[in-house]
Amino acid sequence: MYQPVTRGAGRTGWSPGFLVKLALVALVDALGVYAVLAAWGARSWGVLTAMVALLLVANWAYFTRRALPLKYILPGLAFLLVYQVYVVAYTGYVAFTNYGDGHNSTKEQAIEALLVQNERRVEGSPSSPLTVVARGEELGFAVVADDGAVRAGTADQPLETVDGARVEGGRVTALPGYDVLEYAAVLERQQEVTALRVPVSDDPADGSVRTQDARTGYVFTSTLTYDAASDTMTDTVEGTTYTPNDEGRFEAADGTTLPVGWRVLVGFDNFVTAFGDDRYAGPFLKILLWTFAFALLSVASTFLLGLFLAIAFNDARLRGRRVYRTLVILPYAIPGFLAALLWSGMLNRSYGVVNEVLLGGASIPWLTDPLLAKLSVLGVNLWLGFPYMFLICTGALQSLPTDVLEAAKIDGAGRWRTWRSITLPLLLVATAPLLISSFAFNFNNFTLIYMLTGGGPRFDDASVPLGHTDILISMVYSVSGLDGTAAKDYGLASALSIVIFVVVATVSALAFRRTRSLEEIA
Amino acid sequence: MRPTRWFSEVGWRHVVGVLAVVYAGFPLVYVVSASLAEGGTLTGSNELFASVSGANYAALAGTRFWTWMANTLVVAVATGAGTVLMGAAAAYAFSRFRFSGRRAGLTALLVIQMFPQMLAFVAIFLLLVSLGNVVPVLGLDSKLALICVYLGGALGVNTFLMYGFFNTVPREIDEAAKIDGATHAQIYWTIVLRLTAPILAVVGLLSFISTFGEFIIARVLLQSEESWTLAVGLYGWVSSLQEANWGLFTAGAVVSAVPVLALFLFLQKYIVGGLTAGSVKG
Amino acid sequence: MRRSILTAAALTATLALTACSGGAEEPAGEESSAPDGAGATLTVWVDETRQAAVEDAATGFEEATGAQVEVVLKNFEDIRPDFLAQVPTGKGPDITVGAHDWLGELTTNGVVAPIELGDTADAFEPVSVAAFTQDGQVYGLPYAVENIALIRNTELAPEAPATWDDAIAAGEEAGTRYPLLIQTSTEGDPYTYYPLQTSFGAPVFEQNEDGSYTPELALGGEGGTAFAQWLAEQAEAGTLSTDVTYDVAVAAFAKGESPFIVGGPWMLEQFADVDVAIDPIPSAGGEPAQPFVGVAGFYVSAQSENALLANDFLVNHMATPEAQLALYEAGDRPPALLEAADTASEDPVTAGFREVGADAVPMPSLPEMGAVWAYWGVTEAAIISGKSEPEAAWQKMVDDIQGEIG
Repeated sequence: MYQPVTRGAGRTGWSPGFLVKLALVALVDALGVYAVLAAWGARSWGVLTAMVALLLVANWAYFTRRALPLKYILPGLAFLLVYQVYVVAYTGYVAFTNYGDGHNSTKEQAIEALLVQNERRVEGSPSSPLTVVARGEELGFAVVADDGAVRAGTADQPLETVDGARVEGGRVTALPGYDVLEYAAVLERQQEVTALRVPVSDDPADGSVRTQDARTGYVFTSTLTYDAASDTMTDTVEGTTYTPNDEGRFEAADGTTLPVGWRVLVGFDNFVTAFGDDRYAGPFLKILLWTFAFALLSVASTFLLGLFLAIAFNDARLRGRRVYRTLVILPYAIPGFLAALLWSGMLNRSYGVVNEVLLGGASIPWLTDPLLAKLSVLGVNLWLGFPYMFLICTGALQSLPTDVLEAAKIDGAGRWRTWRSITLPLLLVATAPLLISSFAFNFNNFTLIYMLTGGGPRFDDASVPLGHTDILISMVYSVSGLDGTAAKDYGLASALSIVIFVVVATVSALAFRRTRSLEEIA
Repeated sequence: MRPTRWFSEVGWRHVVGVLAVVYAGFPLVYVVSASLAEGGTLTGSNELFASVSGANYAALAGTRFWTWMANTLVVAVATGAGTVLMGAAAAYAFSRFRFSGRRAGLTALLVIQMFPQMLAFVAIFLLLVSLGNVVPVLGLDSKLALICVYLGGALGVNTFLMYGFFNTVPREIDEAAKIDGATHAQIYWTIVLRLTAPILAVVGLLSFISTFGEFIIARVLLQSEESWTLAVGLYGWVSSLQEANWGLFTAGAVVSAVPVLALFLFLQKYIVGGLTAGSVKG
Repeated sequence: MRRSILTAAALTATLALTACSGGAEEPAGEESSAPDGAGATLTVWVDETRQAAVEDAATGFEEATGAQVEVVLKNFEDIRPDFLAQVPTGKGPDITVGAHDWLGELTTNGVVAPIELGDTADAFEPVSVAAFTQDGQVYGLPYAVENIALIRNTELAPEAPATWDDAIAAGEEAGTRYPLLIQTSTEGDPYTYYPLQTSFGAPVFEQNEDGSYTPELALGGEGGTAFAQWLAEQAEAGTLSTDVTYDVAVAAFAKGESPFIVGGPWMLEQFADVDVAIDPIPSAGGEPAQPFVGVAGFYVSAQSENALLANDFLVNHMATPEAQLALYEAGDRPPALLEAADTASEDPVTAGFREVGADAVPMPSLPEMGAVWAYWGVTEAAIISGKSEPEAAWQKMVDDIQGEIG
């Protein structure tokens, strides 16, 4: 029936399965080698290294007779490494930088932005019709002055009057000594054109002509200049010199800094500030407790309801159970953000359907009373989450060995007893890791809190924008300014994410260790 | 069967069923009502089905709704299938082989998924920018890239679900097959997968559903409207309160629930069919 | 034997693939080196409302220059964070739509380039250009000015009320469910409440002589306290309620359940069946009720590789009456370009909003504004819901904001 396999001789037969494997690996290798070559061409050394490593491991794994488990794990593992582990690692890296408002990009981009932000149009200077011209490879501008004279120059050659130019429609169309560039050619070199500054005269204080649309020229002066050799910025009006500091900004001797900075590594600074703001000390404890309560209660309530329904519908004698099952997973078929929006409307105190229709015109402050808001969040999360648990329990119930259940019945065990001592432990073995993972998910269930209550109602006694339903992750959102209440600080947010991750991971790993004993029993 | 006994064995299940359906379905009646109303808002009106018209559904045709639907189906089906294939393979390895680092590996899989995803979009965006510079189809605005990102989560919770289930398949079955000369691959493909069909169906469905509703990563990666998924597109209709288009949105939400329910109906027989689906052969 | 077959297979497939890719790349290279405007593609981010209007202008631009314009639809709320995150990677757009109050954040992060409007600047509503100006440089091309006003159902209330109390009296006389609608919600809505606050002489920040803001809080003091107390009194009288959200208010007004609603032009689509007139917001505290003006415009990315095209597109193709009117048709906001605004003002409703806007103040674009928003609304909501004692809550809010600003 099965292809006989010769053992021990280092050869597997040419079974169809082997051919399939061969074809698949060949395909992967082909795509991989293509990607490696492309990475070489694009000079992406990081991608190149990763691809080569993955390819080598893949070929080794599928052609060695050892590494049996790896053959099965590798496909998923490869995706996991590239798309998840990398993300975690990158967030870890950001935690040690000052990435955020004011430190949003690289130093080159910051310098560029500072220079362009500190150019001022010379007051009262005219806007002149401008033509982009070239002298050999060198670009220049030709402008028609107010008095009709044509003046031309390049970056090194200040504007000078040129005679014999042809002017049509107020614009230069031909110029002795220069080539007039066609619009298409201008577009081709548009970065050079927008970067070009043609001095008005030998005196830099007179400013230089620049253009943004290759049609009109304006005279600008720069109040800030950058010297690449000494890596300093100089304010030409005040005469102040700014040098780059360790925090990724240009700083003058008296400590003033220029507004646009860049990203630098700042070591453990973010972790220090994370615990440094004492305005958060009071709310923090309350939020920590609520986060644990929210996560645990969410898991417990969704699991129990899901399990109960799964058991209730798990009886062949129940007519219409297909219909019940299908309708019960409805909440899961609706995108989560819609559900949160929907419920926040339904729970409105005066107009919400819950008060107005279900409770006959009551006016219960579901989302604005601290305690009720917590209950509402749990209730909505139950609605959102029980279909998931229902599905899992329905699936898991199928795996229960029927003989054991039959045996218990014959032994005269009651329904409750059978459930308590056989069904539940067996189910827990299969679902414990999912419950732990669901705990972790709810621990960081930012979307629900953010969409449903926004963390509200606010704490009356705290001086930070946090509320009774805020959980740790939504507190991070607020502390690091991602909610817009302060300057955004991705570095701080990453650092805090890592701290939260450590907490959740520890709790989960401990819980997971406990489930091992469960598994041993089963 | 006497009525009291009938009730204690079967009847109560109907009561539970009806209550559960009301609980699960009531908020959605609201959505359906809003989708049939003309120019209504979602909140502020409790008169269910005050007006009934198909205008909002007809208006979907004038949008890119159906393109988004097709995109979503492609992405969700591919992700669901990939997750089942890769997750089941890994679960098989963890369940059947004993190797060093097995326990640690399992725990690591569980733990890595717990990393707060709030900032993930920053890293994923940069990752796809650099991948896209090398292989454009793995870069931004590509459905394939989105599928790959989702497949990054294929090992994880789902692996555990299957791992637990695989453990309940008696090992004697594969031992017997091995004695008959079957390779590990043959045991996996022809025996284990067949016996575990219910959980594969559950995982496929879970993965399909979560992909179907995901929009945080999708809206960062999918830049052009033609490649959006449903969740991204629908969210766009209501993301700005002032410009909110609740009629279209609710109609779209109702229609988009259909594939999920259809898939569930289709998979239900595998999910609850139990062990009878796979026959043990040796 | 096995290895060699494998290697051969891999090699063949690789060669085939690289051959394909090589073939595919070459024409692309040729295309970009051709001296033709078609080589350049301008990427513009727009939100759904603005999409069609920008696409129309883009068609004209494509015909005039031969360059391609790719209009990318984004959710409006995603645009700011995505622009900030993507411009430094070089993947961002060349141009994006945006609001003027983003300016502070965009310049601190160096992601936006100045635009020289030149003589065109005089063709715009002065407030719109001023809103996009920082340190004497203009960073955006304005296209619309938006502000709130009092929208009145002329059937229920034939006359414009002079003061808040008049409005309430007229509303009660009309015998409708609400005397007046103002969106509040449990998070508060300080934007909509701002004209009422200014009527008590409590602007959010101190203003310089030229109208720009300084980061000195001005919403405390006597005016602020009086406003807080007024909120509590009105809530007690039942005219203000945190249950009235945007949706609730709009739906109620559309159904004729109130003669007045405080709101903006974005609501008008819902009021198609109501005869409306636009009035100034009635003063509650005696001083003029000045709402915020928001200016919508286009920003150019600091990392744009097509800066020239981008500026050309904005200054010569979006600053035209046709383009600005198209944007007006799409969004109902009065255009920023004077010529277009005059045309649009033939509609009395638009003219009404424009008139109210003339006395309005620009919304501050200071980064400090974030901290203000965080505390402002919830405090108002807490006072209105009767949860907090007005004077103490207002003072605590001012202190908390001051603590956040530092």
